[in-house]
Amino acid sequence: MTFWDILIILARGAGYTILVTVASVSAGLAMGLFLAVLSTIRWKAVSFFLAAYNYVFRSVPALVLLFLVFFGLPGLGIRISPFVSIVLSLGLISGAYLAEIFRGAMAAVDQDEIVAAEASGMNSMQIFLYIMFPQMFRMSIPGMINEFTSVLKYTPFAYTVGIPEIMKEAMSLAVMTLRGLEIYLAVGIIYFIIYRLFVMLFMTFEKKFRIPGLAPE
Amino acid sequence: MALIEVRNLVKKFDDKAVLKGINIDLHQGNSKVLMGTSGCGKSTLLRCLNLLIQPTSGQIIFKGEDITRPGVDVRKVREDIGFVFQHFALYRHLTVEENVTLGLRKIKKMKSKEAVEKASHELNRVGMFEHRNKYPAQLSGGQKQRAAIVRALAMDPAVLFLDEPTSALDPQMSREVVTVINKLFLDNITMFCVTHDAFLAKYISDSIVFMDDGVIVAEDIAERLFYESVDPRIKQFFLSVIDHR
Repeated sequence: MTFWDILIILARGAGYTILVTVASVSAGLAMGLFLAVLSTIRWKAVSFFLAAYNYVFRSVPALVLLFLVFFGLPGLGIRISPFVSIVLSLGLISGAYLAEIFRGAMAAVDQDEIVAAEASGMNSMQIFLYIMFPQMFRMSIPGMINEFTSVLKYTPFAYTVGIPEIMKEAMSLAVMTLRGLEIYLAVGIIYFIIYRLFVMLFMTFEKKFRIPGLAPE
Repeated sequence: MALIEVRNLVKKFDDKAVLKGINIDLHQGNSKVLMGTSGCGKSTLLRCLNLLIQPTSGQIIFKGEDITRPGVDVRKVREDIGFVFQHFALYRHLTVEENVTLGLRKIKKMKSKEAVEKASHELNRVGMFEHRNKYPAQLSGGQKQRAAIVRALAMDPAVLFLDEPTSALDPQMSREVVTVINKLFLDNITMFCVTHDAFLAKYISDSIVFMDDGVIVAEDIAERLFYESVDPRIKQFFLSVIDHR
């Protein structure tokens, strides 16, 4: 079995890795956006909830949360599939980080523009949709790339709940062939390729949505 | 009947009264300029008039309706008042044309094509049509302010409020903006402008209102207020803001 054959075999698991990453980042984006919008409400209870969420999901290790969801919740009679478990765990953690990125980007929207929109007769929803969100999204792209990278690096945990992603394929292959060095080197290469492809995709987005004259071309 | 009637308007921030019983009228087709030292309450008054700041007491009658009473549709009132800001406040993620059409499409519910036609017409009026596809960051200060004026005007407001429209501009750009606002003045657009710029005030006003420490001290035409006033506060102010060269 050549190194190329190893790469091909492992690449079969790449589909799951990408699927878990995309699904987790999507869940994280939805959660992060929800939390960021929630943070604009100046109620004590909401602030407390956000602070608690932030502390909990930024401090609990991803693997612990995954085990809690997958192995812990059945104890309460809640059974969740391996795929949903990893997406939920990574999405919740990612949401905490993305919320901070979105909040920072939201704070960077020029207050004068918001007042101008208000003065023109727009309601809060219109101001958010047409003024705040488009700018917040653009300013968040670099932070989203970082967060995507973190999520991608957490996906090998998926093998612990039985998802046949790259790491699971690699471990099975290593047990059978005892060629750990080549196999795990191949895993690293595949992760690097996935990472580069996604970064290129995000960069294309960033370029497409860049505000002319404001950021370096 | 005046378009805007302000009666005994008071605004307090905590215990500090910034507006201390303002009475002023603005008639259709009339242009008034509000002048006074920094911190005298000019901008606060302007922002109270379109309810960006809630007055503490007093009445603002706009088109015959008291807009300070509870239950007033504030957004409807604001739709009818164009507002131009000192620092332009253009939406920086949108082109000049999109800045103008956004309100038309989302607030006035105009169809895109119709909004673009309206925007093109208004941009042409102030010589900004060729810059319609540029983003605010690609414009000079004067161009930004002209775009901001168009954005406000395109909504066909009953009155145009201008809050220090030339303060953030260098003299050359400032003249560019004065020319545009002067054109509006000659077209009998109803305007209420806050400024320190005596040149602007002279060329865009039917009368100038002088404010000091939250009260209106005098109202007169530019020449008389600039050169004939005997009030020491007014004399002192215009001595400092008029370029006597």
